[in-house]
Amino acid sequence: MELIVALGLIAFKVALLIAILLLLPLPLTWLERKIAGRMQQRMGPMRVGWHGLLQPVADGIKLLTKEDHIPAEADRFLFKLAPILALTPPFVVFVAIPFGETVSVLGAEITLYVSNMNVALLFVFAVIGLEVYGVIFGGWAANSKYAVLGSLRTCAQMISYEIPMGFAVIGVVMLAQSMSLLEIVRAQADVWNVVYQPVGFFVFFVAGLAEAQRIPFDLAEAEGDLGAGFHTEYSGIRFAFFMVSEYAIVLLVSVLVVILFFGGWNGMLVPLPPLLWFLLKVAFFVYLFIWFRFTFPRYRYDQLMAIGWKVLLPLSMANIIITGIAFL
Amino acid sequence: MSHARHGVGAWIGWAFFADLVSALALTFGYMFSRSVTMQYPDKEKWLPYPRYRGHHFLTRDDEGEIKCVACELCARICPCDCIEVIPYEDDKGSRHPAKFEIDMARCLFCGLCEDACPADAIALGQQYEFSSFSSRDLVVGREDLLGKPGKARTGGGVVAARLNTEQDVLVETSERRGYNWWRNIRRT
Ligand code: SF4
Ligand code: SF4
Repeated sequence: MELIVALGLIAFKVALLIAILLLLPLPLTWLERKIAGRMQQRMGPMRVGWHGLLQPVADGIKLLTKEDHIPAEADRFLFKLAPILALTPPFVVFVAIPFGETVSVLGAEITLYVSNMNVALLFVFAVIGLEVYGVIFGGWAANSKYAVLGSLRTCAQMISYEIPMGFAVIGVVMLAQSMSLLEIVRAQADVWNVVYQPVGFFVFFVAGLAEAQRIPFDLAEAEGDLGAGFHTEYSGIRFAFFMVSEYAIVLLVSVLVVILFFGGWNGMLVPLPPLLWFLLKVAFFVYLFIWFRFTFPRYRYDQLMAIGWKVLLPLSMANIIITGIAFL
Repeated sequence: MSHARHGVGAWIGWAFFADLVSALALTFGYMFSRSVTMQYPDKEKWLPYPRYRGHHFLTRDDEGEIKCVACELCARICPCDCIEVIPYEDDKGSRHPAKFEIDMARCLFCGLCEDACPADAIALGQQYEFSSFSSRDLVVGREDLLGKPGKARTGGGVVAARLNTEQDVLVETSERRGYNWWRNIRRT
């Protein structure tokens, strides 16, 4: 009986997580377009619903009813597989992400995470790494030069930024003496990691921007020179999959930054419910992503590589060494 | 701003991304500025200036007779060959167009027909809302042209308007002159 209840609870949590992640791009696209509009002295969407609130729904319906076009020369199997491969990893990662300790619902204590792995950090990085497959397959299967170039760039970018990203979190792991995200947050109860690890935070955040393929590192879909990068040939619902996965990654990177460096659900000064603290912090970082997008130009490809290998990698290594020395 | 500094200050600024931060501050400031968007069919509508070249119209003289003398000069000068005039002679012996058709789908609104007309009969007016789903609807005849609005007397104002999908954009209030396009543009 207990096993069934536990399984049911997990199934419920997973379903809830998937629903939230699938629905979240709707308000996020609206917000992004509104913020973009305000920053450019425009209004953004205004016509569908109050202040364009229903615009994402309209866009969704449009994407669903659009022709699902597959190029004649495309590898049909891989072409269909790629959006799913791109969509799955960001969703899977959230299994390992804690959103808080526990809440009591109807007298029962319910944990705010699906699973508390002791190697959660490793799991997160391993699964994010799989994201590359969707990009490679999508670009390769479409059999179009823009898509191939876009996917090549993206692969190189993701692989080279995963290294500093991985190194940047080692300092955090050293501080918490654990790879469990739950333990990492608990270790930050008094002082947030960003105080001890400003360089680590910087490296992680910049690499996260690159990982999410956002401006200033959105080389993958550099509209000016590549059409739309690896998803140039996608249309309709398959394109929507790529968009959803992109937003899920933005969210994921924000969540990771908050958990690893900004104390997770640990509050500061103002006593708010932990979950609210967590959501506020994540919202701030999501806003930061959008803010960056409409402020900075895009880096050139060689600059991107130079930043990854010549700046971030040495910085993250130095960070590890200095943290280690401080521990001695 | 980092470009104003030299030496050590510049290096410190570079290390802490002074330029990026100032860019962020700028966009953040803009986020709370007023938008310059004119919400055209929904809320506002712009009134064209008198010199605006919109839909053609034909004029009448004091007796209410059409001014056009069907000389076909406009048809001749038109670079798009989109005016067709067929003349006739009325009982008083004066020439008038029996048929006067302009194919708005081909017109490029150069205004040459207006310049060429010896009788000041044709001119380009202020109407600009005449898009259509069929190019055949855009061939307008003599009676339509006589009924079109003339040149704007004032212009450059913005008036409140509302979209009526069945008919047209409805203008609600009286006009305000001289819309200040720079009103909300931030200049530093
Ligand atoms: S405006 Fe120019 S193109 Fe149009 S009808 Fe007159 S002469 Fe022809
Ligand atoms: S509109 Fe003017 S130019 Fe054209 S036929 Fe009539 S009188 Fe002649």
